[in-house]
Amino acid sequence: MIAVVVLLLLLGVSLAVAAAGGQEVPVGAILALTAVFVVFFGAGVHVAAVLGLLGVLVGLVFSDRPWWDFAGQTLWGPSSNFVLVAVPLFLLMGDILLRAGLSDRLYRALNLWLNRLPGGLLHTNIASCAMFSAISGSSVATAATMGSVALPYFTGTGYSRRMVLGSLAAGGALGNLIPPGITFIVYGLITETSVGALYVAALLPGLLVTGLFVLVILAHGLARPTERPAPVPFALKLRALADLLPTLALMLLVLGSIYAGWATPTEAAALGAVGAAVFAAFEGKLSFRLLNASAEATARNTALLGLIVLAAYLLNYVLTTVNVPQTLAAFMADLPLPPWAVMACILALYLALGTFMEGFSMIITTVPVVFPIVTALGYDPIWFGVVVTMLVEIAQISPPDGTVMYVLQGMRRDGGPITDMFAGVLPFLAAYLVAVTLLMVFPELALWLPRAWG
Amino acid sequence: SAQMPTSLPPGPKVSIVSVTQPLPTQPQFTRVDMPYLRDMLRERSGGRIEGTVASHAERNLSGTELVRLVRSGQADIGASTLTTLSGDVPIMDGVDLAGLAPGIGTARRIADAMMPVVNRDLERFGTRLVIIYPFPAQVVFCRQPFASLADLRGRKVRTFGNSLVDLVNSLGAQPVSIGFPEVYSALERGVVDCAVTGTGSGVAARWPEVTTHISNLPVSWALAGYMVNINWWNRQDPQVRAFLEGTFKEMSDKLWELGDAATRDGIDCAIGKAEGCRIHTLAARPMTEVNGTDADRAQLREILEKTVLPGFVKRCGARCGEVFNQTVAPLARVRFGG
Amino acid sequence: MSGEGADLPALPRLAGALRRGVSALAAGMAYLAGWNYIACALFITADVLGRNLLGVSSAATVEVTGYMLAGGIAWALAHALTRGAHIRVDVWVNRLPLRLRAVLHLLALLLLGAFAFFCAWAAWSLVDESLLFDAHDNSALRVPLAVPQGVWFFGLAAFCLAVLVLAAEGASLLLVGRPAEVDRLLGPRTVDDEAAEALEAAAMAREAAEGRGPA
Ligand code: NA
Ligand code: NA
Repeated sequence: MIAVVVLLLLLGVSLAVAAAGGQEVPVGAILALTAVFVVFFGAGVHVAAVLGLLGVLVGLVFSDRPWWDFAGQTLWGPSSNFVLVAVPLFLLMGDILLRAGLSDRLYRALNLWLNRLPGGLLHTNIASCAMFSAISGSSVATAATMGSVALPYFTGTGYSRRMVLGSLAAGGALGNLIPPGITFIVYGLITETSVGALYVAALLPGLLVTGLFVLVILAHGLARPTERPAPVPFALKLRALADLLPTLALMLLVLGSIYAGWATPTEAAALGAVGAAVFAAFEGKLSFRLLNASAEATARNTALLGLIVLAAYLLNYVLTTVNVPQTLAAFMADLPLPPWAVMACILALYLALGTFMEGFSMIITTVPVVFPIVTALGYDPIWFGVVVTMLVEIAQISPPDGTVMYVLQGMRRDGGPITDMFAGVLPFLAAYLVAVTLLMVFPELALWLPRAWG
Repeated sequence: SAQMPTSLPPGPKVSIVSVTQPLPTQPQFTRVDMPYLRDMLRERSGGRIEGTVASHAERNLSGTELVRLVRSGQADIGASTLTTLSGDVPIMDGVDLAGLAPGIGTARRIADAMMPVVNRDLERFGTRLVIIYPFPAQVVFCRQPFASLADLRGRKVRTFGNSLVDLVNSLGAQPVSIGFPEVYSALERGVVDCAVTGTGSGVAARWPEVTTHISNLPVSWALAGYMVNINWWNRQDPQVRAFLEGTFKEMSDKLWELGDAATRDGIDCAIGKAEGCRIHTLAARPMTEVNGTDADRAQLREILEKTVLPGFVKRCGARCGEVFNQTVAPLARVRFGG
Repeated sequence: MSGEGADLPALPRLAGALRRGVSALAAGMAYLAGWNYIACALFITADVLGRNLLGVSSAATVEVTGYMLAGGIAWALAHALTRGAHIRVDVWVNRLPLRLRAVLHLLALLLLGAFAFFCAWAAWSLVDESLLFDAHDNSALRVPLAVPQGVWFFGLAAFCLAVLVLAAEGASLLLVGRPAEVDRLLGPRTVDDEAAEALEAAAMAREAAEGRGPA
């Protein structure tokens, strides 16, 4: 429903743009293309095919150049781009950590410290996800890893099933926001923004969102108290901290190597993957079988993201040759609205798209078009990178379509419906929206740290 | 000298797509491409020619694919630096080897002499160079002090292009390849100690914030070229061709003037000398200028002869050595094979 | 796998056998793609250590790992397809009646195939152009571009083949009036599939944890 509204809005905008440009408006063609787009999505056509074929159609209808003769180069460019190498490397790291059981130790150790708070184990979900996010650049990997570790702890307890699933999905949606993150790398690639600066800028917003999640759980815990487990001797708690060491060491390796000047953000992902394997080896868990399974999972997940990247780049190339982003940017910048209102419209568009679109395909299709508008309005590219990443994270946990939720649903063994997840994630979704609003009102939340740091 | 004609007889409309400089903020783009290839084409042709101009960044291009872009008719006119294109057309490297032209005058004489030679190779791919022009001199930026090229020994230097890699290796430094967008943070964090780029380009990329010393010794010129698609060119009405030829001549003069002015301007902006800084923006944290010495120039020449030139011939083939000796050697006073 | 569809007519059975063969090939290619990423991590790590500790660098890491990514993506596309991993927006489709759903699955696959063929054709044109130019990259290794681009093309071609055999099986099942089996073959991955996968990884993790003994 929302999707159709958005498309009609887009159509309205493109008509207005064409009218403002004084050109004759190919209404029929635009309507036909919009219809194709809606039918494709509705008929369950693959996201990559929708984007790619839309590119082909737009090219055939609107371009007077033999754009297909350059398509090979257009597809080869992004698929062989060094910056994107970080994507499989982060996926590989997450998979090795999960299979080697290192994430389980992280969860257990945090649990000893947090389970007596109102909300109990739910806090452990958020805290362990936040910590895992600081080594992994992928939300899906974060949710899959911590979800598979955490879910068994809740069997036979009185915790609300919805809150358990909701908190894990929300925790997973920290994966890209708390640095490092694949979304930042892709955003930096598209907009030529420094990934290092984006990471620094995301630190405070990441903590803010985590803090808001904790508040949600505290409120829930106070309203619906659960039985508190017996206190654990302090010495045992202290000893449990040793189990945090592998995670902290990897965090130091991935983020430290960037800020110490040893590695670029892409290279740091490789260090993380190798570091994860080294820890697995220390534990005596590194085996051919483990690496082989991780290799297959990494290849499969990279391929599905890669196909969408190819299609999005093709569409983007064709749109650029027919001057769509340029015209749209000029039009939006000239609208008789204050910049913040235009920005609010852009954010609303992202929220709407996010309900039915997967986060990664969303950023890669929209940022090339939206970014020129944002800079023309005078907004800071770093700030916008952080906000877009938050919106991508929101997309991953906004019903009905969100990869993070699907992954978690797939791990449940109680056979409950996915609507449990949809209901459970809502309070956290609201918290995320509050954070985005705060960032709109106080851009310094993102911009202060990079400035103080540099 | 020939100039852009002030009028064009009426006739069928012509629309020209140009894809030129790496970034839309570069002075070559704002001061030459936009006025000539967009505004003046339209005004002086009486609206007969409609030009659109885009930068590589706006078209999501890395710069290496420009020959293919023009060849496949995506753009009628395309520009990119010659070293970047040398993967597709190796002879282009020979126009702008590290250490070849100590001054901009020599660089232009070499470029003029080499243009027909390069075009013999390019025409096989359906394209032809119409202008060769310089970016500001390529110089060394470092985050620690240095007094001469010899001081770079042991440092990590971000380079691009084969001949600069050969040069940096011969200096005993370590060439590091990092994509341009990542260089700023690489310099900031010390992933690399130094980087080579145009004086003005470094200033525009805010490198003075992350480096302290800038050399004024040109190691090369980052010569670049505008190409046209030959089929498209031959299809044009002879009057349109003459009109465009005049335009290219005038642009060429402007671009060489700009390259010369921007070289000094970039350094002045970097070192915080406000009165000399007119094209680029003044650095908030002034850098120290490192004067090139005679010893530097001698060393550069020796490395050119012993390493850079043989390296080029090895990549490009023996024929390129002969071409170099015939065309460039008399101007640069360096011969391949002694 | 034994006995699967034993009561089927010859045509879909043949198509099924063909599809299983191609799936096996695709799986092999995907494992290679995955190990290629492991090699990539080691290569970059060696480069970072070499640069910071020994002062040596390959000066071709950026280019070579870029090629490894391109090859890795292309070589695992077919496997991702046969595993039903490519992302679809299927909230609406799954509510339609079976027959219509089966037809839409086939339509989606054919459209994906159209895009795949366009990509493969474009990749081949690029290889052809690089051969004409005798193009090399600007790294220290001067890699002839036709080599990594050729590897990339091969992966895209295998993806096309996988679409073809899958579509052949789907179409033949539809022809003999078995929409339920089309739905099973081409339909979106059920919760069970994804659960099996996640559980497999989680099981490995638990195994690891148990192997460690009580803490
Ligand atoms: Na992260
Ligand atoms: Na969503």
